[in-house]
Amino acid sequence: MLLICGTIPRADAGLLIGKARFDGGRLRVGNAEIPCTQGTAALASAACAVAKHCRNSAPRAVFAGDTGGGKGSRLLYDYVSKNLPRINPNILLMHYILPVMGLMKQVCAAADKCDPRPVMMADASSMYAAKAAGLAAQFDIFTPDLSEMEFLADAEAVHPAYISRHLFRAKIARIDELIEAAYRQKSMAKTVIVKGAIDHIVQDGKITFTLDKPDLPQLEAIGGTGDTISGMVGAFIAAGFSHYDAAVAALKANRKAGECARATPATKVREIIAAIPRALNHNENQKGKRA
Amino acid sequence: MLFKKKDQNKFEGGGLVLFPAVDEAIAAEKILKAADFEVKLVAPPPALRKGCDLAVEFNIVEKVGVERALAQKGAYFVEILPLKGAGELLDVVKVVNFDDACMVKAGNMKLTFDKNTGVILNISGGGCPDIPYLHLSMVDKKITDVARPKDNGHTLCALMLDRAFVEAAEIFNKEEL
Repeated sequence: MLLICGTIPRADAGLLIGKARFDGGRLRVGNAEIPCTQGTAALASAACAVAKHCRNSAPRAVFAGDTGGGKGSRLLYDYVSKNLPRINPNILLMHYILPVMGLMKQVCAAADKCDPRPVMMADASSMYAAKAAGLAAQFDIFTPDLSEMEFLADAEAVHPAYISRHLFRAKIARIDELIEAAYRQKSMAKTVIVKGAIDHIVQDGKITFTLDKPDLPQLEAIGGTGDTISGMVGAFIAAGFSHYDAAVAALKANRKAGECARATPATKVREIIAAIPRALNHNENQKGKRA
Repeated sequence: MLFKKKDQNKFEGGGLVLFPAVDEAIAAEKILKAADFEVKLVAPPPALRKGCDLAVEFNIVEKVGVERALAQKGAYFVEILPLKGAGELLDVVKVVNFDDACMVKAGNMKLTFDKNTGVILNISGGGCPDIPYLHLSMVDKKITDVARPKDNGHTLCALMLDRAFVEAAEIFNKEEL
């Protein structure tokens, strides 16, 4: 079972716990409808699309309303730390949350009590907290974009806003140096999926896969198109894929969905997510033809 | 009282507010605690010391919210600094042009607007919980009609978005002239 934990932009929502359902336009957890905007809602919606395609059970969600003040994030940390061993998910995907180093340590301690320990995934600010607290090695999968890769490569940075200038000027050609630096100082999860103009899969510090087609630079402008990749990776792993195969399938599906949706810089992420089933079917057919 | 029960010894905030005098640091701690921020009074490391020997440690990610809370109560401070790493916020801004759209990148945040109408088309990047909220409140509105992200946001991601927003507004205003 894939457990997705993150905040949603509703100050009064409290905790929402239950199966996530996406009907092609709306995301629901329990009776609550959540706007499908960038962030955890986009991630969960994409995960639902993949789960449905793979005929797997829907992901479970623990969402907390938080517009930035941090109260919802603390509710979420508290719930996950206390209940994770009981829920015992196969995959724990931590996402948008106020990064608090001490509370992320409690989440990792709760994961240690699960049997077996879940596949640990972090994206967005959960990844910031994990790296800043020195917990990166306890995670199986990180999904940074290029600026977040620079943050992972900066030993001292506690947030991408404070990375050293020389790192921020990094070009794609230097990504191998960023990876090497981040791996050397133990800021990398076992598998790292770097999302960008060229997507990279890095396993144990080595680049094992790259993807740059179809070339859709406009996807960078669309809020949530990185979140969709993270959600799809979690859902593919829940369906039995290896971490590597899940990453490859998610990266290919995301680009194809952008193409199917005829993405422009004005496209909203819900339109990309609505195109994921078509993209998955297309990619599966292509794979079948090659086999 | 879920939020009050904390082991202060385990708190790792990563950020310091520096003050000119001890009584100002103590007053600021009270203001921030009353506003539900997790903070503690500490002695600043010698290398970072400016002003008095007492500072307030807080979660550096909440820099925007902390600054606003102190300003609203008229509290004066010398500087806000991260305990480790680069002392200054990243100020590198990059601009990418599409046909009718312009994407401005500041740190990990990107804001894209329509060059003809000034409407914010998308906000991407970031990871802190105020970003989806700012996304909902800003996207599909004209850049000249919305509040600055730092006025409604709380975190460093909101501050980076604010930098992109200011640059984008400047570009749009120049193109309108």
